[in-house]
Amino acid sequence: MQMAEVKQIEGKNVEMNSQPKSSAIKNEEKEIVVKVKRFSPDKGEWWQEYKLKVDRFTQMTEVLRRIKTEQDPSLSYRAACHMAVCGSCGMKINGAPRLACKTLALELTKEYGSDEITLEPMDLYPRVKDLVVDLEDFYQRMYKVKPRLYPSEEVLEGKAEHRLVPEDQRELWKFAQCIWCGLCVSSCPSVRNDPEFLGPAAHAKGYRFLADPRDTITEERMNILVDSSWRCTYCYQCFNVCPRDIEPVTTIKKTRAWSGKMKDKTKVIETGEKHVNAIADTIRKSGKLLEAEVYLRTYGLAQAMSDMLFMLKSGRMKYALIKEVPVKGLNDIEKVMNGGEQ
Amino acid sequence: MEKLSYDAIVLGAGLSGLMAAHEIGKEGFKVAIISKVFPTRSHSSSAEGGIAAYIPENSDPNDNPDYMTYDTVKGGDYLVDQDAAELLSMKSGEIATVMERWGTLFNRQPDGRIAIRYFGGQTYPRTRFVGDKTGMALLHTIYERTSGLDVDFYSEWFALDLVRDQERVKGVVAMEMKSMMPVFFEARAVVMATGGMGMLYRHSTNSYINTGDGYAMALRAGVALKDPEFVQFHPTALYPSDILISEAARGEGAVLINNKGERFMKRYAPNKLDLAPRDIASRSILTEVKEGRGFPGGFVGLDLTHLGPDYIKERLALAYEAAKSFSGIDATVEPIPVRPAQHYYMGGIDVDITGTNHDLRGLFAAGEAACVSVHGANRLGSNSLLETLVFGRETGRTVADYLKSTDKPSSSVENAELEKMLDEAYLFVKSESGVHFGEVQNKLRDVMWEKVGVFREEKGMQEAVKEVKELRQQVTKMYVNDKSKVYNTEFFNALELRNMMDLAIVISSSALNRKESRGAHYRLDYTQRDDENWLKHTISYLRGNTVEIGYKPVKMTKWKPEPRVY
Repeated sequence: MQMAEVKQIEGKNVEMNSQPKSSAIKNEEKEIVVKVKRFSPDKGEWWQEYKLKVDRFTQMTEVLRRIKTEQDPSLSYRAACHMAVCGSCGMKINGAPRLACKTLALELTKEYGSDEITLEPMDLYPRVKDLVVDLEDFYQRMYKVKPRLYPSEEVLEGKAEHRLVPEDQRELWKFAQCIWCGLCVSSCPSVRNDPEFLGPAAHAKGYRFLADPRDTITEERMNILVDSSWRCTYCYQCFNVCPRDIEPVTTIKKTRAWSGKMKDKTKVIETGEKHVNAIADTIRKSGKLLEAEVYLRTYGLAQAMSDMLFMLKSGRMKYALIKEVPVKGLNDIEKVMNGGEQ
Repeated sequence: MEKLSYDAIVLGAGLSGLMAAHEIGKEGFKVAIISKVFPTRSHSSSAEGGIAAYIPENSDPNDNPDYMTYDTVKGGDYLVDQDAAELLSMKSGEIATVMERWGTLFNRQPDGRIAIRYFGGQTYPRTRFVGDKTGMALLHTIYERTSGLDVDFYSEWFALDLVRDQERVKGVVAMEMKSMMPVFFEARAVVMATGGMGMLYRHSTNSYINTGDGYAMALRAGVALKDPEFVQFHPTALYPSDILISEAARGEGAVLINNKGERFMKRYAPNKLDLAPRDIASRSILTEVKEGRGFPGGFVGLDLTHLGPDYIKERLALAYEAAKSFSGIDATVEPIPVRPAQHYYMGGIDVDITGTNHDLRGLFAAGEAACVSVHGANRLGSNSLLETLVFGRETGRTVADYLKSTDKPSSSVENAELEKMLDEAYLFVKSESGVHFGEVQNKLRDVMWEKVGVFREEKGMQEAVKEVKELRQQVTKMYVNDKSKVYNTEFFNALELRNMMDLAIVISSSALNRKESRGAHYRLDYTQRDDENWLKHTISYLRGNTVEIGYKPVKMTKWKPEPRVY
């Protein structure tokens, strides 16, 4: 059902008789070993090996399809579009969370310097069978952010028309391209440690609507998203694993910037804002991040005192007492901080 | 067997299914959507270029819905029902506007209105798009919208068969893939929105999940397919993944080359060269490969290198990215490997312009699963997304009206009948030996590709019918190695293969029957269109091992057939 075919393309006319430079397509073939971590509720977990020949074009989804149709029909996995738009084939390949379709077998053997490739189910989600995991937790996170546009009644009734400038469209579309594959959530440390954190994909989805000028439930969205956004540690794992490069962490940063508009700030938001302001102030003051001061201002004197006892015990108190000397050219830093000349 | 009762069941959660369910649910009826994948994994997500729409006040000033209808009718080589094409054009602007209101991030003009671009076969530009992922954007919008309604989703549930009595549809038997639990979904109306069937062919741009399940379920329930011989092939699918490389590449100056470095289109289309129509380009590529001038593996090169890296990355971003990610080819330094691949199925469950099937009361169909017929013998680019939404909505509204005027069925379904369906499916698991699905599936895909593919002729198709019959026989003796009672994909693959077989026999027999060339149906032994004898729809039923073929007239309104010259 794909479509294509742009008929008229304005612009440059290409000389139709110009000769192509190269005329051959090189290929190579190699036998690889695929080790799959298998699982079924009645048999438990085991590793199974398959050998097959791949060439430079062989996607890991094709590797799986060939194993299933030619060697072992009992292997279970999900795959559909094989072009990285449906988000079905998320798994761990050589330990890293990836889409199987967007991974070429031969390239992988070169990257890792080994002809053996391991396949495992994604982390975090309960296993169902072999490489199939239960994504219910992921879906529930997405539903929490009310993942749909709530346009005005006037627009729905056709009495008014949406306008959206190309710049806004581009910005929103970047974040709207989440394919619900679950890779980012499976590899997010904050998701594991903080039940209140929505996770990267839901934040991308949530922000895409929060920032959409056509949406009407902004305050409700802020209440859902802003607190959670301060629960991310900026580890950038979601940035690394996202097969569509939508940068969930960027949407989390952008969501934090909405904190100022919140009427009732939660403790987490307040602490987060204090932390950010303290960092900015110490940099303004000295050109450096003054850890001890940031800590004191973020958590307050009482908390800092009690933590100090812990630091004394662990022998790390000396770090808190380092006296930092301001850097030269603080004026320039001030300019940068104010978004001026850089 | 456990029973769940609904007013309506929609099979399939792609664009047409979700749109139909939206319309039914909106009217307060109890509706369930059953899909073997989670909705956003549906094949609608793979559509790239756009959705055609004539939007008054936001279209070319010279354009009007009549031009749009004409383009569709001519593109379909006059096998299009013209009243259906008129409806498609009339509703196109409205449907694009509705999707925008629901949140689709269409590309914009500087003044904030929806942008527009040209597509193949259009007299004036009318394609609306979201980058090169229009299908994904629309699918996400409508899933997001529908999931906010009171609609029940049964994702990763596999539908086995329709349940019917003498006169009307009674529901569907489906199985939860995770628990393998069968359930009878009782309903007064069933909408088939089950999508296409690319897996029948060795090469296809379709998802792995497109196994033609809906067509086969309908056939087994005694329902006809319309125009089943019409299968569209696209000339430039990326080797070996068969991901579509847009015609835009050739529009920008890319050339097709063989293993000698020759620009071979000179031989086949001396004037149009690489920009010859899809069917001619597909046939030319396969001829080169057949005569030993292809590359090992059976493909030719689509060479962009002379265009220069900056130009390629700016103007042909998708082709460049796809070649890089999925074939490991840097299109700025070497040609992209391409070959023709099955792309779309014009045939489908026979319905009228309201989405109603007239073989079985209470049965409806929409999207690629249906044949309205709006695409005739050859679909025009950017008309398939449009069809899913326009006719998805029409069908949903028809179902709502039907439910308002139809009482609950009086007769109840015998449990024994349901158990029989289940037993037939379980037969494969119970067998201790036989063939497994993979062997048969690969053979079927080869037969269909070689003998009911781009080129067709009497002898080949006779062989195909014979071979498909034999394979279909083998499938009854298929066995499933995996006895697991959770997410047993081998079992579901076996059921998919049963579906593929029921469809394949109908496609090959109907293709053999049509003795002319029209649109995508190209015969070496009858190379001309024959309006005198063949300007009519094929209507095919599957009766056991026999395909029963009849005909229906094509609905003409104001466009008389003329030679299809571009």
